[in-house]
Amino acid sequence: MFANFLIGLREGVEASLVVGILVAYLVRSGRRALVARIWAGVGIAIAVSLAFGALLTFGPNQLSFRAQEIIGGTLSLVAVGFVSWMILWMARAARSLRGELENRLEVAAAAGGMSLVLVAVVAVGREGLETALFLWAAAQASSSTTEPLIGAALGLAAAVIIGVSIYRGALHLDLGRFFAWTGGFLVIVAAGVLSYGIHDLQEADVLPGVSSLAFDVSNQIPPASWYGTLLKGTVNFTPATTWLQAIAWTLYTVPVLFVFIRTVRRPVRRPAGRARRPIPQEQLA
Amino acid sequence: MKSVRQHRLAAVPVALTLAVGLGSLAACGGEDTSKAGGATTNIAVSSTEDACTLSAEQAPAGQLMFAVKNDGSVATEFYLYDAAGEKVVAEVENIGPGLTRNLEVSVKAGTYTTACKPGMAGDGIRAPFIVVAASASPVTTG
Repeated sequence: MFANFLIGLREGVEASLVVGILVAYLVRSGRRALVARIWAGVGIAIAVSLAFGALLTFGPNQLSFRAQEIIGGTLSLVAVGFVSWMILWMARAARSLRGELENRLEVAAAAGGMSLVLVAVVAVGREGLETALFLWAAAQASSSTTEPLIGAALGLAAAVIIGVSIYRGALHLDLGRFFAWTGGFLVIVAAGVLSYGIHDLQEADVLPGVSSLAFDVSNQIPPASWYGTLLKGTVNFTPATTWLQAIAWTLYTVPVLFVFIRTVRRPVRRPAGRARRPIPQEQLA
Repeated sequence: MKSVRQHRLAAVPVALTLAVGLGSLAACGGEDTSKAGGATTNIAVSSTEDACTLSAEQAPAGQLMFAVKNDGSVATEFYLYDAAGEKVVAEVENIGPGLTRNLEVSVKAGTYTTACKPGMAGDGIRAPFIVVAASASPVTTG
């Protein structure tokens, strides 16, 4: 039961964290109305994944291994795009908030409403199909034993609890600090998703080099252990990482983290009088 | 309340795009199945901590369906590699204890390598797997 619990936890924890941070942001910035959009996005992603997974499990057709890897890989790369956008946008928000210019946040949120839904859809949908296939397999096994299904469900529930805890914690943090820390964390998450997507595409033979490993610490950090599971689930750490993964991870993390930190730390110029202007575009880069 | 309603509506195109995208990929994946034409050969695989038992070590070229059952107590994966054991031909992961997951793959005649990876790490428990040219329905190899 514990092994199935860990799989459920791993598949769910990243999406849960991203959604928790998104919802916390919307609530903190007084845009509670937009939260419904996020839930709609999450609901749609779950429904599509479960339906598609059921079709493949119980229908006559199976998805070829390659097609499944290409779906996973491509959705991961799309997710990196959306989460990166969210990160840089949070960096700006963090800076504005240090200057206590909350109205700027309003401007950013108005522009980004639809993109936020997409972040939610992609964050949940990315691993949705694999999770659905796993859940349906557990459901099929429940004619002989219900332990796998219970384990998987408890794992997913634990993932949701982690997301809710992040959300609750975020409600008590200083807003500027909240954006700075969650944004920095999301850089590492996005880099991991990029690395994961590249590995999927390597396995599908779309990208080369699946067997040339940069390092392999599977003995020190077993993927099936609880800590291996948490590392994999949150920041997508792969104990056996290929060179291409390692290079892509570094090429993403270094510049994005640099831009992120610079954006957060750059001093806010307080305009004389009440600031009503949106942030000039040239300051955003 | 009106705005919430609009937001829900706004999410619909997103969902449709996602559904259509996944659906079309499913159709592509399904093509592999119909192309082979012949019957699917079923092979049962039992994976435990220290064994990887296949119901057959040989199969005719065409459509194979590995039903991989985890009879151990840690999560496992099943791989079909090329003869050298380098290139992944097909793989199914996240097989928790007690679960059976199917891996359907279309193969040409030749030598392959199977591997169960209890603990989802390392090289796994490997064995050669022979695919012979199907005599009834000739399959082009190469």
